[in-house]
Amino acid sequence: MLWVDKYRPRTLDKIIAHEEIAQNLKKLVSEHDCPHLLFYGPTGSGKKTLVMALLKQMFGPGVEKVKLENKMWKIDAGTRTIELELTMLSSTHHVEMNPSDAGFQDRYIVQEIIKEMARNRPVDTKGKKGFKVLVLNEVDKLSREAQHSLRRTMEKYSASCRLILCCNSSSKVTEAVRSRCLNIRVNAPTEEQIIKVLEFIGKKENLQLPPGLTARIAAQSNRNLRRAILSFETCRVQQYPFTINQALPPLDWEQYVSEIASDIMKEQSPKRLFSVRGKIYELLVNCIPPEIILKKLLSELLKKLDSELKHEVCHWAAYYEHRMRLGQKAIFHIEAFVANQSLVQMEPVSSFDHLKDSLCASFSRISYV
Amino acid sequence: MSSRRSLFLSIFPPNSPTPPNPLLRLGFSMRKRNPVLVLSSSDEEGNGVRGCATSDSRCSSSRVSSSASAARKRPRGRGSRKNLHSASRDRHVVEFDLPSEEFCDHLHDLSKTPGITQTDKKELWTEKHKPHSLADLAVHKKKVEEVKRWLEERMKAPKEGIENCVLITGRSGVGKSTAIHVIASLLGADLCEWMSPTPTLWEEHVHNSNSGIQYMSKLDEFESFIEKIRKYSLLHGAYAEELRKPTILLIDDIPVTKGRASFSRLRKCIKTLVQSAQTPTVILITEYHKTEPVDSATEFWEELESSIEQAGAYKVAFNPITENSIKKTLTRICQEEKCDVPAQWIDHIARVSGVPSDTHGELNYGSPSLFLTRSSGDGHTNPQISLPWGRDEKITLFHALGKFLHNKRETPPALAPDLFTLKKKYARNPLKMDAPEEVLLQAHGQARTITDFLHENVLDFVSDEATDSGWVVNSYLSDADCILASIVHPKFCRITETNESDSVRELVAASVAVRGVLFGNSHPSPSRWHTIRTPKHWQIEQTSRHSKIQMLPERFATYRTSSFCSLSSIATEYRPMIKWFYSPVNVHAHDNISESLHREDDMDCTDGSLEGKKSEESEEDDIEDW
Repeated sequence: MLWVDKYRPRTLDKIIAHEEIAQNLKKLVSEHDCPHLLFYGPTGSGKKTLVMALLKQMFGPGVEKVKLENKMWKIDAGTRTIELELTMLSSTHHVEMNPSDAGFQDRYIVQEIIKEMARNRPVDTKGKKGFKVLVLNEVDKLSREAQHSLRRTMEKYSASCRLILCCNSSSKVTEAVRSRCLNIRVNAPTEEQIIKVLEFIGKKENLQLPPGLTARIAAQSNRNLRRAILSFETCRVQQYPFTINQALPPLDWEQYVSEIASDIMKEQSPKRLFSVRGKIYELLVNCIPPEIILKKLLSELLKKLDSELKHEVCHWAAYYEHRMRLGQKAIFHIEAFVANQSLVQMEPVSSFDHLKDSLCASFSRISYV
Repeated sequence: MSSRRSLFLSIFPPNSPTPPNPLLRLGFSMRKRNPVLVLSSSDEEGNGVRGCATSDSRCSSSRVSSSASAARKRPRGRGSRKNLHSASRDRHVVEFDLPSEEFCDHLHDLSKTPGITQTDKKELWTEKHKPHSLADLAVHKKKVEEVKRWLEERMKAPKEGIENCVLITGRSGVGKSTAIHVIASLLGADLCEWMSPTPTLWEEHVHNSNSGIQYMSKLDEFESFIEKIRKYSLLHGAYAEELRKPTILLIDDIPVTKGRASFSRLRKCIKTLVQSAQTPTVILITEYHKTEPVDSATEFWEELESSIEQAGAYKVAFNPITENSIKKTLTRICQEEKCDVPAQWIDHIARVSGVPSDTHGELNYGSPSLFLTRSSGDGHTNPQISLPWGRDEKITLFHALGKFLHNKRETPPALAPDLFTLKKKYARNPLKMDAPEEVLLQAHGQARTITDFLHENVLDFVSDEATDSGWVVNSYLSDADCILASIVHPKFCRITETNESDSVRELVAASVAVRGVLFGNSHPSPSRWHTIRTPKHWQIEQTSRHSKIQMLPERFATYRTSSFCSLSSIATEYRPMIKWFYSPVNVHAHDNISESLHREDDMDCTDGSLEGKKSEESEEDDIEDW
């Protein structure tokens, strides 16, 4: 078992990084009335850990006996039936799933599957009616329709089920959903907290820690606790006993992105653009989300650019990040950003002008046809 | 003679040259379930107008005498309104005559060509100049001879145990049915045709189901027809009084089926027909699939053909008519009509109707357009003008893409006295092609496909010096993608929007993409041979989807976590890190990362999670030994 999983705090008492939140949650459970919850915060900050600990506090160790199911759902959507495959993790007390995996059909999941689960109410051994907990991940990636149906489900079945939502950014969750939940912000742990956790693990594993290693790992982890622990364990696998200036294992995709960035800076030509495209494809095949590629690419570029250009590049990155959300094919937008980048230095032309021109032209054409 | 066309004429006054006007159609749709009336399913009828119930009673009277013989072989036995108001018959006929005469008058107005007698034009030229002898047929002599010999043999000695079926295939308009008709009349045989029912409209169906009439699909009708002629040999019974005259059964209009179940029904039907046919039977199959490459029914027709052949039918394939024989026929018509049409026009019509890659030789098409030539012009206009009534010339998707990508432009004119001059970077020379949207229409391309192809290939066509072209092109493609996404994605689509706005959007998106490419590629690289690749990201998307599905169970099985974790964190954090566990090489040696990415991919796909776990455990053991 990976250290990340092995040393994951199982109960609310043992949580190191977010003690205050843990205490509050504990109070919430002791009052036997748990509202819908919305956990939000950056990745690797401990949202999931908090949720699992909370569930254990509520239902006891039963929640840890989970099974993974891959189920086909047939959904009758008026004129046609839609088949959806959905992976879910369930115990007797809770069900966990990623509704946004269904892509643009996510609203059917919310409307049908979640409703179905929310409807049947578990009865505990004493005959008392309990409630079921649905843990939904990545709620911010749900489409608007899906979020609206989620709101409806929340209202209607609030007696028999509780929803725990997890997401990175609460701004992408509609106000209607947010206002029906108790919002819990989970901060990224500070570097001191990360160091504390790493040292705790080191003590448990009986490791000799050279001074400064944990600090370096924490600094490189970008305040992502999961990443810190993973790279700590990798260090351990690579070389033990630790040396003082031990190299930290880099993430291959991050290096790859920085390679792309230096490619871009070196030369700008259609040929180069084409090779960059190939590299981005490589990353996409490995399931690196396009948003993350773009973000990392930007940060790599910012390291290399003059300070006057930084503003402009950021602007375009934001612009194409937005387009990526609007559009379907991420590669189009990443490539447009990559191609655009060099031009910022020469002459910024507003893309809106082009768009307007071409739209006008095409509309007038259509009206003739 | 009861061919499709002559039947049509027996209902309309023989000189009505065109499909009936709405009033007439109303009458037909009312009577469409009347068993005694014979209508063909050719597109003259079918879209009836609902809502005028008053004419129903009158229309329900039927005209037995005009089409009695044909009516008898009508497969349907359900008689809902069999009582005939023969009294109202005359009134009825008058009613039919009236509008069609009006219509003819209008048609006369249309064609004010001097020098032609009015009586000439009461028939379509396809009807009027229908071949009456074997020599007139534009089909290849050998094929006709083959069919004729076969039919003769069968009619002379209708032996038992011999397959009595012939299958004729060919593209639309090559003259399959015409050939059969000519041969039949030559042999002095009666030609009986299966008349398929008129298609039912949805509104009609709703109306009928209220009145208790059950819906019967064309396939159902066909099935029952086959059943009937097999059991009762109905054709012989119907023609008992003229037994000596041989009959040929012609099946021209095989029902089109959708889905495996109905297809197998159809196949069974045809098999029984082929195997149990008593009279010589001719089955015609039009090869639509060869003219319409986009048609998905290709395999359906091919399978049907082969199954008919397997059942023992004799197959004759009619080749497409050559341009020359079209020209010959057209010239003959011109001579008979005594009009002088420039030779170029005939050439042009022949060429357009027989574009080699597209629709090979369609005589049906040729003569109407000749007719139009005659009626519209006085025969002396400039032959250079393209005929406005020409069939849409189709081009392939790749042709269109080539046009867009090569981006050929006129050389700049010497002087440009424009009202306003564009900035230099916006100015482009005029295109050496039609408007891009027209090219798109001709290519039948879908916006998404076009955009993908353009994106994949455009960089090859941009010259290496033009650094800014890449961006402009890409920014347009990104615009196009955004527009397209709002179509498929219901995420950003408001509920009030209808399909129409979607199709407009698709047009706009395609146009933005194409024009963006044309505009942005301001310095196209010197033209040379390029292959056009299929978009790679189709494949990329597929593989990444596949590995996404794999990822989660893999993680769960390997590390027994008790909770989910998002795919992105698996991809960006767990997998790269875990990879270091498996390959405890020096951290600094990571020269070619792309290779390592590949390696990891392979490993994940092939080894499966079990092996991965083992190796991890063994490594941990090693460490503890230290």
